[in-house]
Amino acid sequence: MAILIKKDTKVALQGMTGKMGTMHTKYLLEYGVNLVAGISPGKGGTFVHGVPVFHTIPEALEHTAIDATLILVPQPVVKSSAIEAIESGIPLLVVITEYVPVHDTAYLKQLAHERGVKMVGPNTIGIISPGKTKVGIMPGSIYSEGSVGVVARSGTLTHDIGATLTGMGIGQTTCIGIGGDPIRGMDFVDVLKEFADDDETKVVVMVGEIGGTGEEQAAKYLENGYPKPVIAFIAGQTAPAGKKMGHAGAIISGEGGSSASKYAALSKANVKITKTFSEMIAAVREALAMEPATAKQLIGREHAAGR
Amino acid sequence: MRLFEYEGQEIFAKFGIKVPRAVLVKSVQESLDAVATVGYPVVVKAQVLSGGRGKAGGVKIAANQPELVEHVERILGMTIQGEKTESVLLSEKTEIAHELYAGVTFDPTNGIPVLMFSTSGGMDIEVVAKTAPEKVLKLHLAPTQPVRSFRILDFLRRSDLPPGLLPKVSQVVQKLIAAFYGADATTAEINPLIVTPDGEVIAIDSKIVIDDSSLARQGITPRFEGSTPLELRAKSVGLNYVQLKGNIAVLGSGAGLAMATMDMISHYGASPACFLDTGGGISSEKMAHALRICLATPGVEGVLVNAFGGINNCEWMGRGIADVIDADRPKVKILVKMRGHSQDEGWKLLEDRNIPIVKLGTTEEAVEQIVRLVKEGA
Repeated sequence: MAILIKKDTKVALQGMTGKMGTMHTKYLLEYGVNLVAGISPGKGGTFVHGVPVFHTIPEALEHTAIDATLILVPQPVVKSSAIEAIESGIPLLVVITEYVPVHDTAYLKQLAHERGVKMVGPNTIGIISPGKTKVGIMPGSIYSEGSVGVVARSGTLTHDIGATLTGMGIGQTTCIGIGGDPIRGMDFVDVLKEFADDDETKVVVMVGEIGGTGEEQAAKYLENGYPKPVIAFIAGQTAPAGKKMGHAGAIISGEGGSSASKYAALSKANVKITKTFSEMIAAVREALAMEPATAKQLIGREHAAGR
Repeated sequence: MRLFEYEGQEIFAKFGIKVPRAVLVKSVQESLDAVATVGYPVVVKAQVLSGGRGKAGGVKIAANQPELVEHVERILGMTIQGEKTESVLLSEKTEIAHELYAGVTFDPTNGIPVLMFSTSGGMDIEVVAKTAPEKVLKLHLAPTQPVRSFRILDFLRRSDLPPGLLPKVSQVVQKLIAAFYGADATTAEINPLIVTPDGEVIAIDSKIVIDDSSLARQGITPRFEGSTPLELRAKSVGLNYVQLKGNIAVLGSGAGLAMATMDMISHYGASPACFLDTGGGISSEKMAHALRICLATPGVEGVLVNAFGGINNCEWMGRGIADVIDADRPKVKILVKMRGHSQDEGWKLLEDRNIPIVKLGTTEEAVEQIVRLVKEGA
């Protein structure tokens, strides 16, 4: 299984003919993604690395089904591109673009909700079900197939934790970056619900950061009981209050949003809280009933991760 | 980006909300020249971004010229919550029959705009919401739906607003909602929204925050609050940088990764000199800027680059680092942990220059290594 995306998911890429789009078409194909269409108004009829490009999603839908779309278009056209996908009935949108105006995101989140469409992002790396497929811009090689679900706000932290787990021989069912913006499509709770129903996922690692209320909402949801162990790490434990860390939602303001308040809420919900990656790895190993890491595994790690 | 009161009032006026006659001045002389356009008595208001200026003595009423000079002189020299008062607004004094509160912001729990209204205006609304939550009414506004005037009327009738005021206040609230959307605000607040004895509804203060990602389409030039020269330099080239007081600069290709790296640096007994998040879509030039800013950070003894080639690409990032090494020959210890798309090409650029790299190890290992390198170098 895995969540949201599986081996044969038919993926479209909006913005395929741009610089980033062209580059990521190549990376997606290399990972074995079933990339069925590119969307670039004015470029219909062309091909990028052999993938047919269409002017619009409705045109693409005349030729193929689409299960998910990866939106890699410039900020000013994100809203119209996402509306096109939602109104064309694509069930899953992954919006990579950063610096999307918050009013555009709020509109899209509401529209997606009304139409029963799942939206991930914006300002995300997307989703990967290692060994199966990805709808995102992550380097596939640092992730590996297994039984840990990862959900994180930060994209590069998703990479880092995916890579750290992989290096320790711990694979993942699905890793998902929900995006760093204060308003985003799917949030922790939505993803936790997906992982709860996925038989293959044995443990969930959730990676939060300072600012916002997503982690606290997750804690409230988890308090009512959850079918598998959840392990949390919150970035920004040493961030100064009142300073915006990055362009997105990471700021400690007033009494809420600090790592301490998030850890406290999660701890109350029986989530195993960890302050470093090595603590996190140890907790994952314990939850998976694995033996503690041996020196041999630590040395062998570099080889395994480099495959 | 937070707006000053006078900037917020310009937006309110643009959306048809009545604001007091006012003029912005930056010196006593300017205030003497301009006061006639407002007339006595005049309210002298410090223009600062932080709250609490009233308590700090940043708002005074002048009945005549000597009082005007006294207040303007004193307020212009004031520092309120660490912020220097650079200008004051001379504002018409209005008679007040009712003080209301109206605001629109995003509900952080679901991303839906929420309208808030209270007849207990003039006070800190967060305090009112805590001590007497029933006095703050809330209405969620689905951004995909038009705002119907009857909805606003039906919402406001639940408050203890005198019924005769309902139509007029409702119109102002509707204009406030239009301003919230039209100005790409994340918060648009009027506190207090006053009703005069004649039944006029006037916004005598404004609190507007504009979404940073919408400044360009709003035609607003970004203003950077309370920044150090290095922070300003970073912002001017599109980098997110926070100067700190430690010895190890953190240069990360994402905010979360950079913060986690900081956390672990502290965990291993050192402390971060700065936080730098390159954001996505980094070019070699941007990476070079980022590294130079880290190297220029006061107190820096080591730089830890922690980056992934995701949307970025390791070759471009490696090229930027290599360019700085070649051109500047920095003495500060630099350790690069970088992997992802085009990692071999990126690593090669660094290996050719003998820059230590963590290829497949963890962030924690990279942190231990840079802490050690800095200790050995000291």
